[in-house]
Amino acid sequence: MAGGSVSECKEYLFKVLVIGELGVGKTSIIKRYVHQLFSQHYRATIGVDFALKVINWDSKTLVRLQLWDIAGQERFGNMTRVYYKEAVGAFVVFDVTRGSTFEAVSKWKHDLDSKVKLANGSPIPSVLLANKCDQKKESFNSKVLMDSFCKETGFLGWFETSAKDNINVDEAAHFLVDNILANDKGLPYEESNGDRIKLDQETVAAESKPGCC
Amino acid sequence: MAAEDLPSEFDVVILGTGLAESVAAAAFSRVGQRVLHVDRRSYYAANWASFTFNGLLNWIQQYHVNELQDWSSLLEDGEEVIYLSNPDTASIKNLQVFCFTSEEDEKEEEASSSTPTNAAEDHNINADEEAVKESSETESAGNTVTNLLVAIDCIISEHSILYNPCNSPENVPDTARVSKTGSYFYLRLMYSRGSLVDLLIKSNVSRYAEFKNVTRILTYRQGKVEQVPCSRADVFASRQLSVVEKRKLMRFLTSCMEETEEQMAYHGRPYSEFLRDQQLGDNLEHFILHSIAMVTEHTLTEEGLASTRNFLQCLGRYGNTPFLFPVYGLGEIPQCFCRMCAVFGGIYCLRHSVSCLLVDKDTNRCKAVIDSRGQRISCSHFVVEEGYVGPERKRVATPPRFISRAVLITDSSVLSSNSDQQVSLVTIPPIAAGCAAVRMVELSSSTMTCMPGTYLVHLTCQSSGSAYEDLSPLVSRIFCTPDSPDQGNTQNCPSVLWCLYFNITDGSGLETEGHDLPSNVYMCSGPDGGLSHENAIKQAEAIFSKILPDEDFCPPAPNPEDIIYDGDATASAEGEDKEGEDKEGEKENQDKLEEAVLTEETVQTATATSTLPSG
Repeated sequence: MAGGSVSECKEYLFKVLVIGELGVGKTSIIKRYVHQLFSQHYRATIGVDFALKVINWDSKTLVRLQLWDIAGQERFGNMTRVYYKEAVGAFVVFDVTRGSTFEAVSKWKHDLDSKVKLANGSPIPSVLLANKCDQKKESFNSKVLMDSFCKETGFLGWFETSAKDNINVDEAAHFLVDNILANDKGLPYEESNGDRIKLDQETVAAESKPGCC
Repeated sequence: MAAEDLPSEFDVVILGTGLAESVAAAAFSRVGQRVLHVDRRSYYAANWASFTFNGLLNWIQQYHVNELQDWSSLLEDGEEVIYLSNPDTASIKNLQVFCFTSEEDEKEEEASSSTPTNAAEDHNINADEEAVKESSETESAGNTVTNLLVAIDCIISEHSILYNPCNSPENVPDTARVSKTGSYFYLRLMYSRGSLVDLLIKSNVSRYAEFKNVTRILTYRQGKVEQVPCSRADVFASRQLSVVEKRKLMRFLTSCMEETEEQMAYHGRPYSEFLRDQQLGDNLEHFILHSIAMVTEHTLTEEGLASTRNFLQCLGRYGNTPFLFPVYGLGEIPQCFCRMCAVFGGIYCLRHSVSCLLVDKDTNRCKAVIDSRGQRISCSHFVVEEGYVGPERKRVATPPRFISRAVLITDSSVLSSNSDQQVSLVTIPPIAAGCAAVRMVELSSSTMTCMPGTYLVHLTCQSSGSAYEDLSPLVSRIFCTPDSPDQGNTQNCPSVLWCLYFNITDGSGLETEGHDLPSNVYMCSGPDGGLSHENAIKQAEAIFSKILPDEDFCPPAPNPEDIIYDGDATASAEGEDKEGEDKEGEKENQDKLEEAVLTEETVQTATATSTLPSG
């Protein structure tokens, strides 16, 4: 909170899902975006719930972005509700060199929309990533086709990305966060969750609580 | 999502996603075992599941016939087959649904004239063989199912319109976040110092869940619902207790925390006798016996005292009562453990079952399983939910024990107070000799299990007859239904909008030893009638330590912020944020991304700043 007056700085925590078929580069994109790293060696994602990126959005806004990778269950699309719960945005990733991963995109999008919604009932903002564009083949869909595909399936937009060559990863994230922030400002949530309990914090003993008068 | 084949070899194959199986799955996966976790159902958490209202209706309709397929062609020499069965048909019976629309709702409804008013429809699906005898009845019931479901849809739609203007009536969505009517099979809470809470904290699985404190404990006595004072604050605030009673109760609660010679003298005698001799008076005796110790007239003193102490020790850890309830319902908890298992590499398939086990005749060990698609999968160990195992192979208590359950949606609380967001546990002593004590939990919309303005009520007791026989007399006394004895007097009672009765196998009926199963096959029971989860956690831990006696059970998972992101090498240099790191650098980076640990506090702050209500 160095810059600007403390009272005006807003902090946001956003949970963003990264979904798509096996091996399309979900983990690479997260790693590129969060850690500025790329490794040729793909590894299944073990032991990681999410990666955290802290963005100084502007002088008054700090955004903590949790990027949730899907875990060992990914091949079969059976994520628990824990995974979807309270997500406010999503990337759906496919691999431009493998047509089958694009065909699965609408399935993933449909699954996403059926499992999580914003407080007002509308689908969470999602962005389509055409990953591995550094290896792009000519057969890849035209821009016009992609635009109309996004419109039909309800994506905000799409980006050709390469985690390897660091193409468009930051831009795509910026685009999504921008949309999430717009949603957030427009929609007051229905309930405050202030009295929910997390078990890792020892709360005040009941005896000292008010409410006994 | 692609329909690929599964890997053909695992260390542990687990069938069923109930609590014990899910805890075991997380424990195995966490220490590096290769885990395959499947469930034949389309949802997680088996008989511990929470449903949206639509999900519940689907569940009511789903009584599959179990088709046996012949997989003997996949057998190798020296192997024999054990077929597995459908868990739902074995564990649930006497399912009955009633749907009431009250006058009040009629006023609110405008166009939906098709809704039957004041009509109680009931259908009876018997999952067990006894149903065959009543085939005529079942058939006629079949006809009403369609009508009934239409009626239920109307009710829900009305409420969507009333309370949730942005939902279109046809489209009650699946996510509990919007369509909040949830349900779970067992009335169950978590003791704030119970083994489940301890395990959640120890393993860091707690990060996946949020809880509500049960805000008050009530009891039903002489036809009235009263609040039970259980903490010091409650005792002082209580209006029902006289000053003398307050002093007596405080003295008793303080004194019973320590073992005294006086208590020892009562060992082997009923707790009720001990209480009577404390000269506490009827009020206090009732509160302590039924609501604090939650035991019966016949429970022995030592047991009663232990329950009382347990209750008191749990008090105040998180709030005014000893109990917690998971936001979105209990079905979240097994899923939290499944997520942990998946994060550590466990593979999940729903709508996928194991048809049979292949057993080596000589060693009596299960060498492999055949899944529902006919794939042979080798495993070193097999863990299975009790319901999948045929009755001829397991040893259970005789006669089989069942639990009677009722799930109600009501329009107001059984005891109104200044807050409409109370979460209440109601203890109800037997209403007549020979009846069982009933426990009731009333959930408000703050638990994300029901729509604002409605309450979700669960009742449970040990079965003596069908769930309807056991519980409906009580329901019609406490709530206003068409069956209520005196319509004039029930004006102030909450109205029941919808209710469901069913019986379910009592998990505590499963013996721990003596089953006719291969030596590397382990069985987990479903939920039992108790209020806590001790049994399921114990089972999972026992199975784990039998298979891996030297490994730690559910050690803490690292925080996502502390994780080494890539595992190519093993260097562990502590790094600052490495902005300009060369992408070709194959060396390991331990990116400590964020110094500050993301605590719940910061989450709360973030939510609070972004959700200032507009009024």
